[in-house]
Amino acid sequence: MGIPPPFVVGYPFSGSTDGGSGWRRLALDLEVPQRVCAMSMTKETPDFGAVTSFDDGEVTIALRGTAEHGSAFALGAILDAAIDRRPASMVLDVAELESLGATGLLAVFDAEKRLAASGVTLTVRSPSVLVNRLLGIMESAETLRRERSLPRGGHLGPEQVGERGVLSPRFASNLSGEDLRRVTALPADPDVVDGALRLIVELARISIRAADGVSVSLKRHGVLSTVAASDQTILAMDADQYSTGQGPCVDASVKGHWFHAESLAAETRWPAFTPQARSLGIKAILSSPLRTFEKPVGALNIYSRTAESFEVKDQEAAAVFAQQASVILSDARADVSDTKMAIRFEEALRSRKAITLAEGIIMEREGIDEEGAFSALLRLALYQGVPLRERAEAMVLSAKAPELGPEWGIDG
Amino acid sequence: MAEDGYVAMDALDAYRQEAGLSHGELWLRYFELGGMSTGFNVEAFLYGVLAPSGHDHDVIAQALNERFAELGGDHPVPYLTV
Repeated sequence: MGIPPPFVVGYPFSGSTDGGSGWRRLALDLEVPQRVCAMSMTKETPDFGAVTSFDDGEVTIALRGTAEHGSAFALGAILDAAIDRRPASMVLDVAELESLGATGLLAVFDAEKRLAASGVTLTVRSPSVLVNRLLGIMESAETLRRERSLPRGGHLGPEQVGERGVLSPRFASNLSGEDLRRVTALPADPDVVDGALRLIVELARISIRAADGVSVSLKRHGVLSTVAASDQTILAMDADQYSTGQGPCVDASVKGHWFHAESLAAETRWPAFTPQARSLGIKAILSSPLRTFEKPVGALNIYSRTAESFEVKDQEAAAVFAQQASVILSDARADVSDTKMAIRFEEALRSRKAITLAEGIIMEREGIDEEGAFSALLRLALYQGVPLRERAEAMVLSAKAPELGPEWGIDG
Repeated sequence: MAEDGYVAMDALDAYRQEAGLSHGELWLRYFELGGMSTGFNVEAFLYGVLAPSGHDHDVIAQALNERFAELGGDHPVPYLTV
């Protein structure tokens, strides 16, 4: 797609007199219909770009690069400018987007809310299950905040979490047309999964009012560790729990239940851990279990510096984030095991090929049938005390028969 | 098939259990060594429902023995054609 000369709708700034930085918006000239506007970022957001096109009231904004931190402000400005044009519909094409950070997601989500208020649908066109899911997470959290609540003082146990497991993101249903449903699997790359978990941590911190810190603990190779944390204090807090083997995070990860320490001052369940948490200024902890295939594998931990600060709606939101993190982990795990299986199968084929070739060599040399050749190869491997495959590979490599000896069991 | 190599019914499956292999894993190892029978047939061989050829038997025996060797053991499963 040919991109016209850059059409700057705004510019990032930093080091202004008040020491702030951010994105300054310029008036966007969109008077000419059908006009395709390209936008390129300045040196401060070099990895992000957007192409906006207008077609009879429909605005399409195609993003590329990474939309987080500084570039998320730019994204917000672009979306604002487009919304100001009062489009009949808006499509956000994020297929070329390499990554969408929490701040970028918030910008998209805000745009969706603003458009929805005037009855306009924002369609997010994305080939990534992950992006759709993350948007869905925000949607569910927002819905919860607005509409849902448990009875006062109600406890959110695993049962309730399970019941709500069907919270389907409204975003998904907005994706109209089969081409939009074209999805690719979430990459199993642990970096991608960790990135998604970091996003969830950030989203949880932003959207749960009482959250002063959030982390995700995950059991990998049987060891519990923190894969995402909002800051160093939280990292230390998790580490204290692993080292003492106590605390809501450990219990939630191991027992698969939900643990809520409403006030650490009155907490008696984790005597070795609680004083350390108090010394770091933490007053309340909410740990929700992460599960893959029904097995507890970790926890989403939310820390607060205010006692009894987690309200029921916060507990609900935490459960939703934990559930979404679990889905992401389950997807990734399924992918990983498929990949492993494929690798294993490829190995099996390699081994098989070596053995077949070696059998062929023996058949040709000795004038015996395939099964006889297998027996001969097997005797050779047993005689040398090596696996069959190893012996076969050695024979194929040398492509000549070793000295014939009694180990062949062939009357030579 | 060698008479002295006779293996009692179910014995192969007992070896499989001792080796800690699932049916699927054992079949993959059998396949890896050049085995040509389906997983279903291999299961039938293990339980003694079908009699394997000497060749098939020995491929299964070798798959099991290599597993035992990996676990630091000997080659406990007897062969029929070697």
